[in-house]
Amino acid sequence: MQASRARLFKEYKEVQREKSADPDIQLVCDDSNIFKWTALIKGPSETPYEGGVFQLAFSVPEQYPLQPPQVRFLTKIFHPNVHFKTGEICLDILKNAWSPAWTLQSVCRAIIALMAHPEPDSPLNCDSGNLLRSGDVRGFQSMAKMYTRLAAMPKKG
Amino acid sequence: MEKTQNYDEIPVEPETEFTAFNIDYEADDDWSNYKDSDVMQQQSAIFEQDAAKFPFVGDKEPLSSLEAEYKSGSPILLEKIKVLSKEYSAIRRTRGDGNCFFRSFMFSYLEHILESQDQAEVERVKINVEKGRKTLQDLGYADFTFEDFFSLFLEQLESVLQGNDDSISHDELVARSRDQSVSDYVVMFFRFITSGEIRKRSEFFEPFILGLSNTTVEQFCKTSVEPMGEESDHVHITALCDALGVTIRVVYLDRSSCDKDGGVSVNHHDFVPTPSDGATTDTSDTGIICSGMVSHVICSDGCKLQSVKSSFKNIDIFSILYLDMKSFNI
Repeated sequence: MQASRARLFKEYKEVQREKSADPDIQLVCDDSNIFKWTALIKGPSETPYEGGVFQLAFSVPEQYPLQPPQVRFLTKIFHPNVHFKTGEICLDILKNAWSPAWTLQSVCRAIIALMAHPEPDSPLNCDSGNLLRSGDVRGFQSMAKMYTRLAAMPKKG
Repeated sequence: MEKTQNYDEIPVEPETEFTAFNIDYEADDDWSNYKDSDVMQQQSAIFEQDAAKFPFVGDKEPLSSLEAEYKSGSPILLEKIKVLSKEYSAIRRTRGDGNCFFRSFMFSYLEHILESQDQAEVERVKINVEKGRKTLQDLGYADFTFEDFFSLFLEQLESVLQGNDDSISHDELVARSRDQSVSDYVVMFFRFITSGEIRKRSEFFEPFILGLSNTTVEQFCKTSVEPMGEESDHVHITALCDALGVTIRVVYLDRSSCDKDGGVSVNHHDFVPTPSDGATTDTSDTGIICSGMVSHVICSDGCKLQSVKSSFKNIDIFSILYLDMKSFNI
Protein backbone atom coordinates (compact mmCIF):
# COMPACT_ATOMS: atom_id res chain seq x y z
CA MET A 1 0.00 0.00 0.00
CA GLN A 2 2.74 2.40 1.04
CA ALA A 3 4.92 1.31 -1.86
CA SER A 4 2.15 1.80 -4.40
CA ARG A 5 1.37 5.24 -3.02
CA ALA A 6 5.02 6.27 -3.23
CA ARG A 7 5.29 5.00 -6.77
CA LEU A 8 2.09 6.77 -7.87
CA PHE A 9 3.35 9.98 -6.35
CA LYS A 10 6.52 9.69 -8.44
CA GLU A 11 4.39 9.12 -11.51
CA TYR A 12 2.30 12.13 -10.59
CA LYS A 13 5.40 14.33 -10.43
CA GLU A 14 6.66 12.89 -13.70
CA VAL A 15 3.34 13.61 -15.38
CA GLN A 16 3.45 17.24 -14.19
CA ARG A 17 6.98 17.62 -15.48
CA GLU A 18 6.42 15.99 -18.85
CA LYS A 19 3.07 17.58 -19.54
CA SER A 20 4.07 19.08 -22.84
CA ALA A 21 6.15 16.12 -24.02
CA ASP A 22 3.12 14.08 -25.04
CA PRO A 23 0.39 16.39 -26.32
CA ASP A 24 -1.85 13.44 -27.21
CA ILE A 25 -2.22 12.36 -23.59
CA GLN A 26 -3.62 14.28 -20.68
CA LEU A 27 -3.36 12.24 -17.52
CA VAL A 28 -5.10 13.56 -14.41
CA CYS A 29 -5.10 12.21 -10.88
CA ASP A 30 -8.24 12.35 -8.78
CA ASP A 31 -7.97 15.21 -6.26
CA SER A 32 -8.85 13.07 -3.29
CA ASN A 33 -7.62 9.61 -4.27
CA ILE A 34 -4.24 8.86 -5.82
CA PHE A 35 -5.48 5.38 -6.82
CA LYS A 36 -8.01 6.88 -9.24
CA TRP A 37 -6.86 8.52 -12.45
CA THR A 38 -8.49 9.63 -15.67
CA ALA A 39 -6.89 10.30 -19.01
CA LEU A 40 -7.93 12.06 -22.17
CA ILE A 41 -6.27 10.65 -25.27
CA LYS A 42 -6.46 11.87 -28.83
CA GLY A 43 -7.51 9.41 -31.48
CA PRO A 44 -4.47 8.66 -33.67
CA SER A 45 -4.36 10.29 -37.08
CA GLU A 46 -5.21 8.32 -40.20
CA THR A 47 -7.56 6.11 -38.20
CA PRO A 48 -11.34 6.31 -37.83
CA TYR A 49 -10.70 7.72 -34.37
CA GLU A 50 -8.90 10.81 -35.68
CA GLY A 51 -10.30 14.03 -34.29
CA GLY A 52 -11.91 12.30 -31.34
CA VAL A 53 -10.95 12.69 -27.70
CA PHE A 54 -11.43 9.58 -25.60
CA GLN A 55 -11.67 9.39 -21.86
CA LEU A 56 -10.08 6.53 -19.94
CA ALA A 57 -10.64 5.59 -16.30
CA PHE A 58 -7.78 4.09 -14.28
CA SER A 59 -8.29 2.17 -11.10
CA VAL A 60 -4.95 1.32 -9.50
CA PRO A 61 -4.74 -1.72 -7.17
CA GLU A 62 -2.90 -1.63 -3.86
CA GLN A 63 -0.37 -4.10 -5.24
CA TYR A 64 0.66 -1.64 -7.95
CA PRO A 65 3.19 -1.66 -9.61
CA LEU A 66 3.45 -5.43 -9.22
CA GLN A 67 -0.11 -5.66 -10.51
CA PRO A 68 -1.47 -3.75 -13.50
CA PRO A 69 -3.92 -0.86 -13.25
CA GLN A 70 -7.46 -1.52 -14.41
CA VAL A 71 -8.22 0.68 -17.37
CA ARG A 72 -11.39 1.14 -19.38
CA PHE A 73 -12.83 3.54 -21.90
CA LEU A 74 -15.45 5.88 -20.55
CA THR A 75 -16.07 7.21 -24.02
CA LYS A 76 -17.95 4.89 -26.31
CA ILE A 77 -15.67 3.43 -28.96
CA PHE A 78 -16.16 0.92 -31.76
CA HIS A 79 -12.97 -1.14 -31.71
CA PRO A 80 -12.37 -4.92 -31.87
CA ASN A 81 -10.46 -4.99 -28.57
CA VAL A 82 -12.72 -2.76 -26.51
CA HIS A 83 -15.93 -4.08 -24.97
CA PHE A 84 -18.78 -2.11 -26.49
CA LYS A 85 -20.84 -2.05 -23.30
CA THR A 86 -18.27 -1.82 -20.54
CA GLY A 87 -15.32 -0.09 -22.19
CA GLU A 88 -13.06 -2.89 -21.00
CA ILE A 89 -9.80 -3.16 -22.98
CA CYS A 90 -8.16 -6.36 -24.19
CA LEU A 91 -4.46 -5.62 -24.09
CA ASP A 92 -1.76 -8.05 -22.96
CA ILE A 93 0.16 -5.52 -20.87
CA LEU A 94 -2.95 -4.92 -18.77
CA LYS A 95 -3.16 -8.66 -18.10
CA ASN A 96 -0.37 -11.26 -18.01
CA ALA A 97 2.33 -9.25 -19.78
CA TRP A 98 2.24 -6.44 -17.22
CA SER A 99 5.47 -5.43 -15.55
CA PRO A 100 6.46 -2.53 -13.29
CA ALA A 101 8.49 -1.11 -16.18
CA TRP A 102 5.18 0.21 -17.53
CA THR A 103 3.70 3.44 -16.22
CA LEU A 104 0.24 4.97 -16.43
CA GLN A 105 1.61 7.26 -19.12
CA SER A 106 3.11 4.42 -21.17
CA VAL A 107 -0.12 2.44 -20.79
CA CYS A 108 -1.90 5.38 -22.45
CA ARG A 109 0.62 5.25 -25.27
CA ALA A 110 0.03 1.51 -25.64
CA ILE A 111 -3.73 2.09 -25.83
CA ILE A 112 -3.24 4.71 -28.55
CA ALA A 113 -1.11 2.18 -30.42
CA LEU A 114 -3.88 -0.41 -30.01
CA MET A 115 -6.39 2.06 -31.47
CA ALA A 116 -4.18 2.42 -34.53
CA HIS A 117 -3.49 -1.31 -34.78
CA PRO A 118 -6.52 -3.38 -33.75
CA GLU A 119 -6.10 -7.11 -33.13
CA PRO A 120 -9.28 -8.51 -34.70
CA ASP A 121 -8.27 -12.10 -33.87
CA SER A 122 -8.85 -11.64 -30.14
CA PRO A 123 -11.95 -9.47 -30.13
CA LEU A 124 -13.97 -8.20 -27.22
CA ASN A 125 -16.29 -6.55 -29.68
CA CYS A 126 -17.08 -9.38 -32.10
CA ASP A 127 -19.11 -7.29 -34.53
CA SER A 128 -16.17 -5.01 -34.98
CA GLY A 129 -13.70 -7.89 -35.15
CA ASN A 130 -15.80 -9.75 -37.71
CA LEU A 131 -15.96 -6.77 -40.02
CA LEU A 132 -12.17 -6.61 -40.08
CA ARG A 133 -11.72 -10.35 -40.28
CA SER A 134 -14.05 -10.62 -43.24
CA GLY A 135 -12.07 -7.90 -44.95
CA ASP A 136 -14.77 -5.24 -44.76
CA VAL A 137 -12.36 -2.47 -43.84
CA ARG A 138 -14.71 0.15 -45.24
CA GLY A 139 -17.60 -1.10 -43.10
CA PHE A 140 -15.44 -1.14 -40.02
CA GLN A 141 -14.10 2.31 -40.63
CA SER A 142 -17.47 3.89 -41.20
CA MET A 143 -18.88 2.35 -38.01
CA ALA A 144 -15.86 3.38 -35.98
CA LYS A 145 -15.96 6.86 -37.48
CA MET A 146 -19.63 7.24 -36.73
CA TYR A 147 -19.14 6.41 -33.07
CA THR A 148 -16.12 8.69 -32.88
CA ARG A 149 -18.25 11.50 -34.21
CA LEU A 150 -21.18 10.70 -31.92
CA ALA A 151 -19.30 10.07 -28.70
CA ALA A 152 -15.82 11.51 -28.87
CA MET A 153 -16.20 14.86 -30.60
CA PRO A 154 -17.48 18.16 -29.25
CA LYS A 155 -21.17 18.81 -29.82
CA LYS A 156 -21.85 21.04 -32.77
CA GLY A 157 -24.06 24.08 -32.64
CA MET B 1 -14.19 17.26 -20.01
CA GLU B 2 -17.85 17.62 -20.95
CA LYS B 3 -17.12 17.21 -24.61
CA THR B 4 -16.32 13.56 -24.06
CA GLN B 5 -19.16 12.84 -21.73
CA ASN B 6 -21.90 13.44 -24.20
CA TYR B 7 -22.83 9.86 -23.80
CA ASP B 8 -26.56 10.44 -23.82
CA GLU B 9 -26.27 11.43 -27.45
CA ILE B 10 -25.59 7.94 -28.66
CA PRO B 11 -28.72 6.49 -30.18
CA VAL B 12 -28.52 3.10 -28.51
CA GLU B 13 -30.83 1.02 -26.38
CA PRO B 14 -31.39 2.35 -22.88
CA GLU B 15 -29.41 -0.35 -21.08
CA THR B 16 -26.26 0.42 -23.03
CA GLU B 17 -26.19 3.98 -21.88
CA PHE B 18 -23.55 5.38 -19.61
CA THR B 19 -24.95 3.66 -16.54
CA ALA B 20 -24.48 0.32 -18.26
CA PHE B 21 -20.89 0.39 -17.02
CA ASN B 22 -22.07 -0.07 -13.48
CA ILE B 23 -24.07 -3.23 -13.99
CA ASP B 24 -23.59 -5.68 -11.16
CA TYR B 25 -21.99 -8.53 -13.02
CA GLU B 26 -21.77 -10.92 -10.12
CA ALA B 27 -25.51 -11.21 -10.01
CA ASP B 28 -25.57 -12.16 -13.65
CA ASP B 29 -24.80 -15.62 -14.95
CA ASP B 30 -24.60 -14.47 -18.53
CA TRP B 31 -21.18 -15.45 -19.87
CA SER B 32 -21.13 -12.51 -22.23
CA ASN B 33 -20.85 -10.35 -19.12
CA TYR B 34 -17.93 -12.34 -17.77
CA LYS B 35 -15.11 -9.86 -17.98
CA ASP B 36 -11.37 -10.32 -18.29
CA SER B 37 -10.99 -8.80 -14.86
CA ASP B 38 -13.24 -11.57 -13.51
CA VAL B 39 -10.95 -14.14 -15.08
CA MET B 40 -7.95 -12.45 -13.50
CA GLN B 41 -9.67 -12.31 -10.14
CA GLN B 42 -10.49 -15.98 -10.33
CA GLN B 43 -6.92 -16.76 -11.33
CA SER B 44 -5.44 -14.82 -8.46
CA ALA B 45 -7.88 -16.51 -6.08
CA ILE B 46 -6.54 -19.87 -7.26
CA PHE B 47 -2.99 -18.65 -6.72
CA GLU B 48 -3.89 -17.53 -3.23
CA GLN B 49 -5.32 -20.93 -2.44
CA ASP B 50 -2.06 -22.50 -3.57
CA ALA B 51 -0.12 -19.90 -1.66
CA ALA B 52 -1.83 -20.89 1.56
CA LYS B 53 -0.51 -24.40 1.03
CA PHE B 54 3.12 -23.55 0.43
CA PRO B 55 5.21 -20.50 1.36
CA PHE B 56 7.42 -18.67 -1.17
CA VAL B 57 10.42 -20.30 0.46
CA GLY B 58 10.02 -23.55 2.36
CA ASP B 59 11.79 -24.92 5.40
CA LYS B 60 15.11 -26.71 5.13
CA GLU B 61 14.41 -30.40 4.67
CA PRO B 62 16.76 -33.37 4.62
CA LEU B 63 17.33 -34.75 1.16
CA SER B 64 15.54 -37.91 2.26
CA SER B 65 12.26 -36.01 1.96
CA LEU B 66 12.90 -35.81 -1.75
CA GLU B 67 13.42 -39.55 -1.78
CA ALA B 68 10.12 -40.10 0.00
CA GLU B 69 8.36 -37.91 -2.52
CA TYR B 70 9.62 -39.91 -5.49
CA LYS B 71 9.30 -43.27 -3.77
CA SER B 72 6.88 -44.68 -6.30
CA GLY B 73 8.43 -42.74 -9.15
CA SER B 74 11.03 -43.54 -11.74
CA PRO B 75 13.93 -45.71 -10.50
CA ILE B 76 16.34 -43.42 -12.32
CA LEU B 77 15.15 -40.51 -10.21
CA LEU B 78 15.58 -42.48 -7.01
CA GLU B 79 19.07 -43.46 -8.09
CA LYS B 80 19.87 -39.83 -8.83
CA ILE B 81 18.61 -38.68 -5.46
CA LYS B 82 20.99 -41.18 -3.90
CA VAL B 83 23.87 -39.76 -5.90
CA LEU B 84 22.80 -36.26 -4.88
CA SER B 85 22.76 -37.16 -1.21
CA LYS B 86 26.47 -37.97 -1.36
CA GLU B 87 27.15 -34.34 -2.09
CA TYR B 88 24.20 -32.49 -0.66
CA SER B 89 22.63 -32.72 2.74
CA ALA B 90 19.49 -30.68 2.54
CA ILE B 91 16.99 -29.04 0.26
CA ARG B 92 14.82 -25.98 0.55
CA ARG B 93 11.90 -25.77 -1.81
CA THR B 94 10.36 -22.69 -3.31
CA ARG B 95 6.84 -22.17 -4.55
CA GLY B 96 6.36 -23.13 -8.18
CA ASP B 97 4.77 -19.86 -9.22
CA GLY B 98 7.03 -19.05 -12.15
CA ASN B 99 9.35 -17.01 -9.95
CA CYS B 100 11.03 -20.00 -8.34
CA PHE B 101 14.42 -19.52 -9.97
CA PHE B 102 14.72 -15.90 -8.91
CA ARG B 103 13.29 -16.68 -5.49
CA SER B 104 15.75 -19.55 -4.98
CA PHE B 105 18.61 -17.36 -6.06
CA MET B 106 17.52 -14.53 -3.78
CA PHE B 107 17.32 -16.69 -0.72
CA SER B 108 20.44 -18.70 -1.29
CA TYR B 109 22.52 -15.62 -2.11
CA LEU B 110 21.36 -13.61 0.89
CA GLU B 111 21.70 -16.63 3.15
CA HIS B 112 25.24 -17.11 1.89
CA ILE B 113 26.12 -13.50 2.73
CA LEU B 114 24.46 -13.82 6.12
CA GLU B 115 26.48 -16.90 6.96
CA SER B 116 29.81 -15.88 5.45
CA GLN B 117 29.63 -12.17 6.43
CA ASP B 118 31.63 -11.62 3.26
CA GLN B 119 31.90 -7.83 3.21
CA ALA B 120 34.08 -7.86 0.11
CA GLU B 121 31.46 -9.84 -1.81
CA VAL B 122 28.80 -7.32 -0.85
CA GLU B 123 30.98 -4.46 -2.08
CA ARG B 124 31.68 -6.37 -5.27
CA VAL B 125 28.07 -7.14 -6.06
CA LYS B 126 27.02 -3.57 -5.27
CA ILE B 127 29.30 -2.34 -8.06
CA ASN B 128 27.51 -4.67 -10.46
CA VAL B 129 24.11 -3.54 -9.18
CA GLU B 130 25.08 0.04 -9.98
CA LYS B 131 26.19 -1.10 -13.45
CA GLY B 132 22.78 -2.70 -13.84
CA ARG B 133 21.16 0.59 -12.90
CA LYS B 134 23.23 2.42 -15.50
CA THR B 135 22.31 -0.21 -18.10
CA LEU B 136 18.60 0.38 -17.54
CA GLN B 137 19.06 4.14 -17.68
CA ASP B 138 20.97 3.82 -20.94
CA LEU B 139 18.18 1.65 -22.33
CA GLY B 140 15.73 4.45 -21.59
CA TYR B 141 13.93 3.10 -18.52
CA ALA B 142 12.62 5.88 -16.31
CA ASP B 143 14.35 5.78 -12.94
CA PHE B 144 11.15 5.71 -10.93
CA THR B 145 10.03 2.50 -12.62
CA PHE B 146 12.87 0.44 -11.15
CA GLU B 147 14.52 2.37 -8.30
CA ASP B 148 12.18 1.05 -5.58
CA PHE B 149 13.14 -2.51 -6.47
CA PHE B 150 16.84 -1.67 -6.48
CA SER B 151 16.79 0.04 -3.12
CA LEU B 152 14.83 -2.80 -1.53
CA PHE B 153 17.41 -5.33 -2.68
CA LEU B 154 20.31 -3.17 -1.49
CA GLU B 155 18.52 -2.82 1.84
CA GLN B 156 18.33 -6.62 2.19
CA LEU B 157 21.96 -6.93 1.21
CA GLU B 158 23.01 -4.48 3.92
CA SER B 159 20.78 -6.00 6.55
CA VAL B 160 22.23 -9.51 6.30
CA LEU B 161 25.60 -8.03 7.25
CA GLN B 162 25.73 -8.12 11.03
CA GLY B 163 26.70 -5.33 13.40
CA ASN B 164 24.45 -2.59 12.06
CA ASP B 165 21.28 -1.19 13.57
CA ASP B 166 19.16 -2.81 10.90
CA SER B 167 20.94 -6.18 10.85
CA ILE B 168 18.65 -9.16 10.67
CA SER B 169 18.81 -12.74 11.94
CA HIS B 170 18.48 -15.86 9.84
CA ASP B 171 14.89 -16.28 11.03
CA GLU B 172 14.10 -12.77 9.91
CA LEU B 173 15.63 -13.49 6.48
CA VAL B 174 13.32 -16.49 6.14
CA ALA B 175 10.37 -14.38 7.28
CA ARG B 176 11.17 -11.63 4.78
CA SER B 177 11.59 -14.12 1.96
CA ARG B 178 8.06 -15.27 2.72
CA ASP B 179 6.68 -11.76 2.95
CA GLN B 180 5.27 -10.82 -0.41
CA SER B 181 6.07 -7.13 -0.09
CA VAL B 182 9.78 -7.91 0.26
CA SER B 183 10.10 -11.17 -1.65
CA ASP B 184 8.29 -10.08 -4.79
CA TYR B 185 10.18 -6.80 -4.88
CA VAL B 186 13.53 -8.58 -4.79
CA VAL B 187 12.36 -11.01 -7.47
CA MET B 188 11.36 -8.03 -9.58
CA PHE B 189 14.76 -6.46 -8.98
CA PHE B 190 16.40 -9.58 -10.45
CA ARG B 191 14.00 -9.45 -13.39
CA PHE B 192 15.06 -5.86 -14.11
CA ILE B 193 18.75 -6.78 -13.85
CA THR B 194 18.23 -9.79 -16.12
CA SER B 195 16.24 -7.84 -18.68
CA GLY B 196 18.82 -5.04 -18.76
CA GLU B 197 21.67 -7.49 -19.28
CA ILE B 198 19.86 -9.29 -22.11
CA ARG B 199 18.98 -6.08 -23.89
CA LYS B 200 22.43 -4.58 -23.40
CA ARG B 201 24.00 -7.63 -25.02
CA SER B 202 21.18 -8.31 -27.43
CA GLU B 203 23.51 -9.44 -30.20
CA PHE B 204 24.85 -12.18 -27.97
CA PHE B 205 21.45 -13.33 -26.71
CA GLU B 206 19.50 -12.94 -29.96
CA PRO B 207 20.17 -16.40 -31.44
CA PHE B 208 19.22 -18.13 -28.18
CA ILE B 209 16.04 -16.10 -27.92
CA LEU B 210 15.11 -16.80 -31.53
CA GLY B 211 15.43 -20.47 -30.75
CA LEU B 212 13.20 -20.18 -27.68
CA SER B 213 10.40 -17.95 -28.75
CA ASN B 214 10.89 -16.60 -32.26
CA THR B 215 10.53 -13.01 -31.12
CA THR B 216 12.80 -10.01 -30.95
CA VAL B 217 15.06 -9.53 -27.95
CA GLU B 218 13.06 -6.55 -26.79
CA GLN B 219 9.76 -8.40 -27.14
CA PHE B 220 11.19 -11.37 -25.25
CA CYS B 221 12.24 -9.15 -22.36
CA LYS B 222 8.85 -7.43 -22.32
CA THR B 223 6.87 -10.67 -22.30
CA SER B 224 9.11 -13.34 -20.77
CA VAL B 225 11.53 -11.60 -18.43
CA GLU B 226 9.96 -8.52 -16.91
CA PRO B 227 6.46 -9.79 -16.05
CA MET B 228 6.20 -11.57 -12.71
CA GLY B 229 5.41 -15.26 -12.90
CA GLU B 230 7.22 -15.83 -16.20
CA GLU B 231 9.43 -18.87 -15.87
CA SER B 232 13.18 -18.69 -16.23
CA ASP B 233 15.13 -20.51 -18.85
CA HIS B 234 18.80 -20.85 -19.72
CA VAL B 235 18.83 -17.31 -21.13
CA HIS B 236 17.58 -15.75 -17.89
CA ILE B 237 20.05 -17.64 -15.73
CA THR B 238 22.98 -16.80 -18.00
CA ALA B 239 22.08 -13.12 -18.01
CA LEU B 240 21.61 -12.85 -14.25
CA CYS B 241 24.81 -14.73 -13.58
CA ASP B 242 26.77 -12.44 -15.94
CA ALA B 243 25.19 -9.24 -14.67
CA LEU B 244 25.88 -9.90 -11.02
CA GLY B 245 29.03 -11.94 -11.52
CA VAL B 246 27.76 -14.78 -9.36
CA THR B 247 28.28 -18.40 -10.31
CA ILE B 248 25.20 -20.59 -10.29
CA ARG B 249 25.06 -24.36 -10.45
CA VAL B 250 21.84 -25.96 -11.61
CA VAL B 251 21.47 -29.65 -10.91
CA TYR B 252 18.90 -31.36 -13.09
CA LEU B 253 16.78 -34.00 -11.52
CA ASP B 254 15.30 -35.53 -14.63
CA ARG B 255 14.80 -39.02 -15.94
CA SER B 256 17.69 -39.15 -18.37
CA SER B 257 20.43 -41.52 -17.38
CA CYS B 258 23.58 -39.64 -18.19
CA ASP B 259 26.30 -42.27 -18.08
CA LYS B 260 27.00 -44.34 -21.12
CA ASP B 261 28.42 -47.20 -19.07
CA GLY B 262 25.18 -47.97 -17.30
CA GLY B 263 25.77 -46.02 -14.10
CA VAL B 264 23.69 -43.06 -13.10
CA SER B 265 25.06 -39.58 -12.54
CA VAL B 266 23.28 -36.31 -12.08
CA ASN B 267 23.48 -33.72 -14.82
CA HIS B 268 24.43 -30.29 -13.73
CA HIS B 269 25.18 -27.08 -15.47
CA ASP B 270 27.47 -24.40 -14.13
CA PHE B 271 26.72 -20.86 -15.10
CA VAL B 272 30.02 -19.07 -14.81
CA PRO B 273 29.94 -15.33 -15.33
CA THR B 274 31.70 -14.00 -18.41
CA PRO B 275 33.13 -10.66 -17.44
CA SER B 276 31.78 -8.16 -19.93
CA ASP B 277 33.23 -4.68 -20.22
CA GLY B 278 34.94 -4.83 -16.92
CA ALA B 279 32.14 -6.17 -14.73
CA THR B 280 33.83 -7.33 -11.59
CA THR B 281 33.63 -11.04 -11.09
CA ASP B 282 34.02 -12.89 -7.89
CA THR B 283 37.69 -13.80 -7.70
CA SER B 284 37.81 -15.69 -4.44
CA ASP B 285 39.21 -18.54 -6.43
CA THR B 286 40.37 -20.72 -3.59
CA GLY B 287 39.24 -24.02 -4.95
CA ILE B 288 36.35 -24.35 -2.59
CA ILE B 289 34.04 -22.41 -4.80
CA CYS B 290 31.37 -24.98 -3.99
CA SER B 291 31.35 -24.06 -0.36
CA GLY B 292 29.01 -21.23 -0.86
CA MET B 293 29.88 -18.93 -3.71
CA VAL B 294 27.86 -21.20 -5.90
CA SER B 295 24.16 -20.92 -5.35
CA HIS B 296 23.06 -24.47 -5.63
CA VAL B 297 19.79 -24.61 -7.35
CA ILE B 298 18.14 -27.87 -8.14
CA CYS B 299 15.70 -28.22 -10.92
CA SER B 300 13.26 -31.05 -10.76
CA ASP B 301 11.18 -31.90 -13.77
CA GLY B 302 8.17 -32.43 -11.55
CA CYS B 303 7.12 -35.67 -13.18
CA LYS B 304 4.53 -36.29 -10.52
CA LEU B 305 2.77 -33.14 -11.49
CA GLN B 306 2.86 -34.19 -15.10
CA SER B 307 0.98 -37.34 -14.40
CA VAL B 308 -1.63 -35.51 -12.38
CA LYS B 309 -2.11 -32.50 -14.54
CA SER B 310 -0.83 -32.66 -18.05
CA SER B 311 -1.11 -28.91 -18.44
CA PHE B 312 1.76 -28.66 -16.04
CA LYS B 313 4.15 -30.57 -18.23
CA ASN B 314 7.54 -28.96 -18.73
CA ILE B 315 7.17 -26.94 -15.58
CA ASP B 316 10.45 -26.84 -13.76
CA ILE B 317 10.56 -26.11 -10.11
CA PHE B 318 13.77 -24.76 -8.67
CA SER B 319 14.76 -25.55 -5.12
CA ILE B 320 17.83 -24.71 -3.12
CA LEU B 321 20.35 -27.44 -2.35
CA TYR B 322 22.70 -27.42 0.59
CA LEU B 323 26.14 -28.89 0.29
CA ASP B 324 27.11 -31.50 2.80
CA MET B 325 29.94 -29.67 4.54
CA LYS B 326 31.42 -32.94 5.79
CA SER B 327 32.51 -33.76 2.28
CA PHE B 328 34.77 -30.72 2.17
CA ASN B 329 37.88 -30.04 4.13
CA ILE B 330 37.33 -26.48 5.16
